[in-house]
Amino acid sequence: MRRLFLGCIATSVAAAVFSLPALAADTIKIGVVNETTGPNAEAGVYTVNGARLALEEINKAGGILGKQVELLLEDNQSTNPGTVLAYSKLAGEGVPAVIGPIRSTQTQAISPSVAKAGIPTMFGGTDPSLTHTGNPWLFRCRPNDSFSSLVIANFGVNTLKLKKWAIVHSTDAFGTGGMNALVQALKAYDITPVLVQGYTNNSQDFTPIVLAIKKSGADVIGSYMTNSPDVGIFAKQLRQLGLTTTWIGSPSVITDTALKLAGSGLYGVYGIADFTPGASTEAKAYADKYRAKYNLEADVYSSWAYDAMHVLANAINQAKSTDKEAIRKTILGTCGYKGVEGTYCFDENGDGLRGYNIVRNDEGKVVFIKHIDNPKK
Amino acid sequence: MEALANNLQVLFQGLALGSIYALVALGFVLIIRATNVVNFAQGDFAMLGGYAMILFTVGMPGNPELHIPGFAMHVPYGVAILLAAVVMAIIGLAFNYGVYYPLRNRSFLPVLISTLGASIFLQNTVLALFNPQPRPLDKLFNIEGVTIGGVFLDSQYLVILVFTILAVAFQYFFFEHTLIGKKLQATSQDKDMARLLGIPVTLMIIITFVYSAVLGGLAGMLVAPILFVSIGMGSTIALKAFAATIIGGFGDVAGAIVGGIIIGVIESFAAYYISVPYKDAYAFLALFLVLLFRPQGIFGEKVSEKA
Repeated sequence: MRRLFLGCIATSVAAAVFSLPALAADTIKIGVVNETTGPNAEAGVYTVNGARLALEEINKAGGILGKQVELLLEDNQSTNPGTVLAYSKLAGEGVPAVIGPIRSTQTQAISPSVAKAGIPTMFGGTDPSLTHTGNPWLFRCRPNDSFSSLVIANFGVNTLKLKKWAIVHSTDAFGTGGMNALVQALKAYDITPVLVQGYTNNSQDFTPIVLAIKKSGADVIGSYMTNSPDVGIFAKQLRQLGLTTTWIGSPSVITDTALKLAGSGLYGVYGIADFTPGASTEAKAYADKYRAKYNLEADVYSSWAYDAMHVLANAINQAKSTDKEAIRKTILGTCGYKGVEGTYCFDENGDGLRGYNIVRNDEGKVVFIKHIDNPKK
Repeated sequence: MEALANNLQVLFQGLALGSIYALVALGFVLIIRATNVVNFAQGDFAMLGGYAMILFTVGMPGNPELHIPGFAMHVPYGVAILLAAVVMAIIGLAFNYGVYYPLRNRSFLPVLISTLGASIFLQNTVLALFNPQPRPLDKLFNIEGVTIGGVFLDSQYLVILVFTILAVAFQYFFFEHTLIGKKLQATSQDKDMARLLGIPVTLMIIITFVYSAVLGGLAGMLVAPILFVSIGMGSTIALKAFAATIIGGFGDVAGAIVGGIIIGVIESFAAYYISVPYKDAYAFLALFLVLLFRPQGIFGEKVSEKA
């Protein structure tokens, strides 16, 4: 027994010693700045899950430039300073590319470091300005917020043929920004909303708003609401006072919490989403693979990282080298790659996606209706 | 005709929300009368009442990070209300011994800050035990409501209105026509004198905290099916309820009720006729005007007579 044990140790030590240098020379390491600890740690797990799933597929298909690929994970503690630290560490390791954060604020925090290091960095934050600061190394793998209002207006006007709009929005930064963008988007169709109605977050009563909508004769409601309880109370009161007006909302109307709170109040409501399992054959296949491997339902936290890994792998293979400038150019040239979030086509700012999925609440189940893409400007 | 229905609808919502403010304001008034201190955790009693209902009707999700196991409980709604009321009574007792009692001989300010600290503590404890997602709660009766002449009356709002009337009647009777109520009043007016007369002051204050925690909890349980159960649910209500106690007259039972209803109705009509985003401002504008022209509030302040 003892000899067997020693033998095992000797073998494994030998294996480790001999394989180490070989490994270092033969793998390509992609950096991942991720939320492993802190308040967002749950989302962080999903992001790594998505990246790992893509990694397996890439390695099975022969890796990048004929080499196997590894992930180099760095925890950012769910904070901005943590993200800067983690990024610097990865830059010091000399990785050819990085999968960055999904949070806008963290992306903003590392933007100067990214520009300084000159490493192609994929990220998922949706604040439109992040790709408009003149930093050529940032690439977004989700649609940014400026496209959501275009998609809401497009779907309401072109698909549902509804022209009398009422806009309900929270008066916070997100809600007011969304309202302004939606008013602009409707202007393109020569439509002026019949009602634009703000409310402060945590309102306890939406009766005045419901009555105003009734009075306005609107046939469609576009909404940018922030908190789920507000969505829930508004939805219930809307139905209680007998309004069955079509409603197209920002993603808050289809969150799990809003669905639970509002119950039947949100049945039939349309929402927009950037990842929906049923949106395409790619998305469906991904959701199945993800469920099989992790016994979890895939969501946007994993899907964007999965896409980012594949886009990167393709770009490096196409560049035929790990030269950062060459990779940057091939990512920018990526157009037509069918990811699970949509079809990627990068513009000169580094925005890869411009479309959203329209989904509908079918008696409590979120079903895919259609995908709407915006043209590259 | 439709205009009338709309106005009645707005009035009903205002009365119903006003009743909730009034219920929480009643809790404020009780503690002010017994201890001369504003309890800033009064709104959190409402929040705890809501979560106690979640605890007994659904269960607790648990927190793996803190190694707190989750469990499910499904007792009938009526039993859950009783159990939740018992939980609130225990919380009121603990609140008395943990927050008020150690500071009872100090001035107004330390006790006030102590209740503020308790509010933060309670919110974060609930956050750790339950997760931050707001939760729905079933209504007391299994019907949405009734529509009469184009006005929708939410069944839960009707329950709230009825309960408020009962609570007010009970409280009036309790304070003015029972010996224990009179002892409580004496305690609030002059603790030393009350003690000299043989009134068990400490016990009176314990009773006050227990009663006010149960009342606050009931307000939370009643409003939860409409506003949902969330960590912050008590804060917004408590702010309006506090304004109501000042408008009605600091420490006056009838004043708290009238103040609460006034704020609810003003808010509702101003939102309908003037502007929704400034809804909260009208309540505080009313507060400002009362402070300016009638600082003692509509019904004056009984306790101030002692000076």
